[in-house]
Amino acid sequence: MSAATPELHASKEGEQAGEGFHVAHHFDSADVQFDAGRMGIWLFLVTEILLFGGLFCAFAVFRSWYYADFVEAHHHLDRVMGAVNTVVLICSSLTMALAVRSAQMSKTRLTSVLIGLTIALSCVFLAIKFVEYQHKFHEGLLPGKYFTAEGFHGHHAGIFFAVYFMMTGIHGIHILIGMGLMIWLLRRNMRGEFSSRYYAPIEGFGLYWHLVDLVWIYLFPLLYLIG
Amino acid sequence: MDAHAHAPAHGKDHVPHVLPLSTYLKTWGALLVLTAVTVGASYVNFGAANLWIALLIASVKAATVALVFMHLYYDHKFHAVIFGVSLIFLAIFIIFTMFDTEARGRADGIERERPADIKAPFAGTAAERAIKEKHAAPKPTGEAAHAP
Repeated sequence: MSAATPELHASKEGEQAGEGFHVAHHFDSADVQFDAGRMGIWLFLVTEILLFGGLFCAFAVFRSWYYADFVEAHHHLDRVMGAVNTVVLICSSLTMALAVRSAQMSKTRLTSVLIGLTIALSCVFLAIKFVEYQHKFHEGLLPGKYFTAEGFHGHHAGIFFAVYFMMTGIHGIHILIGMGLMIWLLRRNMRGEFSSRYYAPIEGFGLYWHLVDLVWIYLFPLLYLIG
Repeated sequence: MDAHAHAPAHGKDHVPHVLPLSTYLKTWGALLVLTAVTVGASYVNFGAANLWIALLIASVKAATVALVFMHLYYDHKFHAVIFGVSLIFLAIFIIFTMFDTEARGRADGIERERPADIKAPFAGTAAERAIKEKHAAPKPTGEAAHAP
């Protein structure tokens, strides 16, 4: 993934984009290099699946132990905000997938716009999450020993919120990291480093971003709808 | 390191496999519809199946994202194998943990009624030992004569 002197070819659409790219010497061809990069990202995604999988397992165990508490506690999550966040992330997945597509077609300006849109949608997601968290703090719906809310029949609602904050928190950190990476991609794209010959970082990030969306696709019904 | 300054030394350029815009838009539409189904289904109470129906709909959405947005359908099958295998291992992880935790406490009643002595686990309870001795009592002298 090397790039020489990109400044000479900054932001020119079409053939001039991505001129700095050349295949690393240990790969037989550009196709092999791309396949190796993609496979590497998929292996990384496996570790991410196992990370969130461990948290889902904890959720499953605690839900089986304290089923009534979980059902009672989950009603205190705002499912409208959760549903809106789901739509926001699905739209961000679309804009990211289209960004990869426009990079494949060497449309540098469109790629920048689409990455920018994805960043904007992530901001919306985090803003809604912020509002949700703020509401939880205000009501005392906090993890474990910090749980101070009144009016609960069961005594283990704190465990539900521990799981809730842990899972949405780590998911939110992944979104933040994604935004940082997108800013990096945006800078590189605006310097003209990507084209149909070389768009591997955008595609790789796209895979990561879709996985973040996938995790939320499971988080939303399990936490907000089923409890 | 910069011996290969120009790409032609390594053969042809990568030609991207570009999907039509309509594919992306249709997938996006399907995901939005499935989200509506997810929310709608949560208002119907299927009892114990609530969890499984929610997981099923979520899995359909996940498969759509994975196959189209993540290009798994159009990519080398090996990438799909990698992804699929991780899901299998995750399933084993969760299922076996649930087997264990759901079965906890099942032995408690039995242990209360028939507590086992660690030093002689197969000796049975006091009542069982009494019965065994009662039936074994007439024989000892006969067996001692034939002992090797």
